[in-house]
Amino acid sequence: MKNNLKNGFISNLPISISVLIYGVVLGVICTSKSITFIQLALMNIFIFAGSSQFVIVDMINNPINISIVVGSALLINLRYFLITASLNDLFVRSSINKKLFIVHFVTDESWAVTLNKKKENENINIYFLLGGGFCIFVSWFIGTSIGYYFGALISNPKLYGLDFAFLALFISIVASMYKKRSDLIVYCTTAIIAVILEKTISNMSYIIFSSLIGCYIYIFINKREKYE
Amino acid sequence: MNNIDILLIIIFVAIGTYTLRFSGLFLANKLKRIKHIDLLLEAIPATLLISLVVPSIIKTGIIGIIAAGVSILIMHKTKNTFLSMSIAVVIVALHRNGLLL
Repeated sequence: MKNNLKNGFISNLPISISVLIYGVVLGVICTSKSITFIQLALMNIFIFAGSSQFVIVDMINNPINISIVVGSALLINLRYFLITASLNDLFVRSSINKKLFIVHFVTDESWAVTLNKKKENENINIYFLLGGGFCIFVSWFIGTSIGYYFGALISNPKLYGLDFAFLALFISIVASMYKKRSDLIVYCTTAIIAVILEKTISNMSYIIFSSLIGCYIYIFINKREKYE
Repeated sequence: MNNIDILLIIIFVAIGTYTLRFSGLFLANKLKRIKHIDLLLEAIPATLLISLVVPSIIKTGIIGIIAAGVSILIMHKTKNTFLSMSIAVVIVALHRNGLLL
């Protein structure tokens, strides 16, 4: 157990550097949105899902529409449902308490590292996954804290283009999700629909609508490919 | 802006996210019966991120569109998220300080 925990932690160290840097960016954005450090810390501990935290922070404005913010954040986190579903085999002999505890520390990074290592090493177990989760958790917390307190020293984040960091980060993540040519059709259509709906709908629910339309197009295209 | 609202958002998202994390693990065997659920969940992250950022990028103006294009290009070539994000930020920063375009 101890060995697996330690190995999981160490195996996630390389990726944890970029997690830390994203954390710094989030911390800086938080200061420009007048979010308190306590609120940021609560998000880190109880939500612990980077991209959805970015979404929450970005969408917090006056007046706040709580349901839209919560809906968008949870839509982004829907993938955790699939991620943990794919870990079913790993948890086969674990007690319910272990499942309930460890599952909270599952992240994109620790999940990917665990699956990767499991291919070459039979002994990888849930403690490896947990060790990885701890590593990401610690670096995320440190990163957001640095950003938060360093961010206070930056008088005008716009001059440094830091407000664009979030947009650039997400567009990069989308680019990394691109797998096949038909994805381009889905992405471009979604983008066009989002721009049109943003202009016609007065609140931020256009995000959810255009996303779901995009999903429908994706299902339509890929469903057809399955049968061909 | 109201702290209670922010706290409510954090509480709801925390509960929802935890529910998603453990229900995936607990419902794994039942999941396979639902038609196209895999495709839907596969599509959501990208389409949601696009819906979220594209209107904002366009509002940033021509420089935003250029920076986003460059970051997609770098991502495509290097697969390095951090590098592509940083360069896009530098492009926007240089432009705002009158050093670019």
